[in-house]
Amino acid sequence: MGKIKVASIWCEGCSGCHMSFLDMDERLVELINKGLELNATPITDLKVPDEGTDIGIIEGAVATDHHEEEVKMMRERCKIIVALGDCAVFGGIPTMRNYFTVDDLLKRGYLTTESTVDGKIPISEELGKHLPKTKAVNEVVKVDFYIPGCPPSADAIYHVLREVLEGRIPKLEGELLKYE
Amino acid sequence: MEKIKIKVNGKEVEVSPGKTVLQVLKELGIHVPVLCYYEPLMPQGSCRICVVEDRGVLKTACTTPVEPNMDIKTDTPNVINSRKLVLQLLFSERNHYCMYCEVTGECELQDLGYEFGLDHFEFPTFERKFPVDNTHDFIMIDHNRCVLCRRCVRVCSEVAGHYVLGEMERGIDTMIIADMNLPLGNSSCVSCGLCAQVCPTGAIIDKRSSYLGREIQSDIIYSNCDLCAVGCGVEIYKKKGANFIVKIYGDWNSEISKGILCKVGRYLSLFNNKERAVGIRVKEEFGFRKIHEDNLVSLIKSKLNNAVAYVDGSLFNEELELIKELFKGRVYSLYPNDSPIPSNINIEDLDNSNFFVIIGVDLNREYGTIGSFVKRNVIGKKAKLMVIDKELNSLAKIADYVFNIKDINIALDILNKEKEVTIIYKNLTESERSLLLSLSNAKFLHLPMETNSIGLQKLGIKHEKISAENVFVFGKNLEGIKDLPIKNSFMLIFTPYEDEELHKGDVIVGITDWFEREGTFYNLEGRKVKKEKVLKPTFDVIDLKEFISYMLGKTERIS
Ligand code: SF4
Ligand code: SF4
Ligand code: SF4
Ligand code: SF4
Ligand code: FES
Repeated sequence: MGKIKVASIWCEGCSGCHMSFLDMDERLVELINKGLELNATPITDLKVPDEGTDIGIIEGAVATDHHEEEVKMMRERCKIIVALGDCAVFGGIPTMRNYFTVDDLLKRGYLTTESTVDGKIPISEELGKHLPKTKAVNEVVKVDFYIPGCPPSADAIYHVLREVLEGRIPKLEGELLKYE
Repeated sequence: MEKIKIKVNGKEVEVSPGKTVLQVLKELGIHVPVLCYYEPLMPQGSCRICVVEDRGVLKTACTTPVEPNMDIKTDTPNVINSRKLVLQLLFSERNHYCMYCEVTGECELQDLGYEFGLDHFEFPTFERKFPVDNTHDFIMIDHNRCVLCRRCVRVCSEVAGHYVLGEMERGIDTMIIADMNLPLGNSSCVSCGLCAQVCPTGAIIDKRSSYLGREIQSDIIYSNCDLCAVGCGVEIYKKKGANFIVKIYGDWNSEISKGILCKVGRYLSLFNNKERAVGIRVKEEFGFRKIHEDNLVSLIKSKLNNAVAYVDGSLFNEELELIKELFKGRVYSLYPNDSPIPSNINIEDLDNSNFFVIIGVDLNREYGTIGSFVKRNVIGKKAKLMVIDKELNSLAKIADYVFNIKDINIALDILNKEKEVTIIYKNLTESERSLLLSLSNAKFLHLPMETNSIGLQKLGIKHEKISAENVFVFGKNLEGIKDLPIKNSFMLIFTPYEDEELHKGDVIVGITDWFEREGTFYNLEGRKVKKEKVLKPTFDVIDLKEFISYMLGKTERIS
């Protein structure tokens, strides 16, 4: 079987999912020997996935217009989109802010936190703008596989990648399917 | 009754009419997932998880009775998809982000998520914030986790009889409320805790047991509460390998209480903050001095001549028997324990009574389980209730008749006209007693003052005040010492807790109590019930049963 190109991005998440990805340890080498090729990932620090990437893995919820753009780009460039971890799958912790308005959120974050003195809400053009609501990835683009868990176990990630590499449709069951 | 024929998953079966589809499927060993259904409660079909297909139509198995010619299919794509859709909606309507939830790993909704392999939410979630009610001493309601199954509402009314919980609004806006939307802590809730026991999710949780571990991490010990003479059946969850209790649940299989508990048995029993009486102390000129157990044995031996023992109703039958043996029958009760009119009705028969009379006891405060049996029949099945009391009784507001005990004569006129009445009482004066005995249509349930009052009666231990050179007192409630003829007597007190009266003793011995001791007692029905030992004592205390057996030469060593 030919190479399988994998890209991953990290939206509003804590990077725990990518840590779990790395926790596959030597099994990562095994996957690479089987044909897995990592192109753009936070691990390799390349930001833009190649056209025609096979698997696009998304960590984190979609919280800003930048995330939205990145996620849409992933969808365009990747054949299979995998939502990795509770934030990408369900929206997770970042969606807790949906109980408040963006205004309240920014004020709380930059002005009224107990440790802040003379705070300021950053307004640089460079920064992504918060969407009215933080969303799970499937609220923005179609997702093909979900790997829930906070973070998902390395076993679950390994299982999915290996199944795809071996030409099967992965299915998470039993110990591999966890919401916590 | 004649059996009817139905088809289940293509096979023809004969079933008895009058059953629900769910009951029949369960009997056939076919698994049907449920959420709002809970066996001790009336089914109400609010969650739609249990749907099955009957000739192309989806029906809730829990509320649909079987009828001839049904063609039930339990796992068609239609059924599975419908269940999955309902689950998706349930997960999305409120916050079911399990990671933060107290019951994660032990939640019926979560289990269903796993059963149906849900790996993501199909509908947006975390959009609305629902309130959290933390006003109650023992129970927290997090409406964000509620799936509106109404198990809590049903159990509070149908089973516990308190009718506190209800709902307001409609559809997705439905909220579980206490009374007319009061915070639970300010409501008429009597803290029986049954709602928390049956809630399938993390919506109603028992605060004390929160985050102390899951049921699979506990040993379950079936026992009886010994904090009053009802003797309710309890399921005690003790952390595996540790010496503490996680929580106490009512035992649905208990013949006495049938799952119900009161605040005392479920919650207060776990908050045991009373100061323990520890060690063995002997009074000397300048105060008490601690002595060793061996010295106690010889001291007791030297005092057994011309001695009497006083006991209270907190002692178990086994302890009382041993004390009787040690004191050659010279054992008396610190408190009166006879029933002015002995009970002749069982607790479970209360469900068949049409007219209750409650005299001088507020069942929302004590004997709470009896209160549940009365209230669920009075409010739920419209049995009549007469309250006769000296003071304001909280059951008066649901009573058909309320009398002051002074007016017992008028009350009797009414009672005489009834076919049958059940009289629940605690104390009676001699004249009240003879008035009530004149009723020919009455059954009586006496609520004894102490847990094992009936045991004391059965063992012939009477309430008498006998003076002696040496007086031994065994018990938890030492009030009665005040009235003992103990001038010039040498007094030894065996008791589990520190008490003002202890200064009157010459020797004080701390004994086991709480979940540290086991034994049997007779409950108010005269039924022998067993209290199990759950915890190892962590204080320097002796176990009465072991100690007296040793004194009597029945056992070799005191462990
Ligand atoms: S109630 Fe159950 S499903 Fe909801 S968050 Fe808690 S564990 Fe998860
Ligand atoms: S604790 Fe008992 S009385 Fe209070 S709301 Fe729950 S079931 Fe009702
Ligand atoms: S609080 Fe619990 S028992 Fe009551 S309706 Fe909600 S989920 Fe059901
Ligand atoms: S009614 Fe009595 S025996 Fe039952 S739980 Fe309450 S205190 Fe314990
Ligand atoms: S279990 Fe039957 S409708 Fe809820």
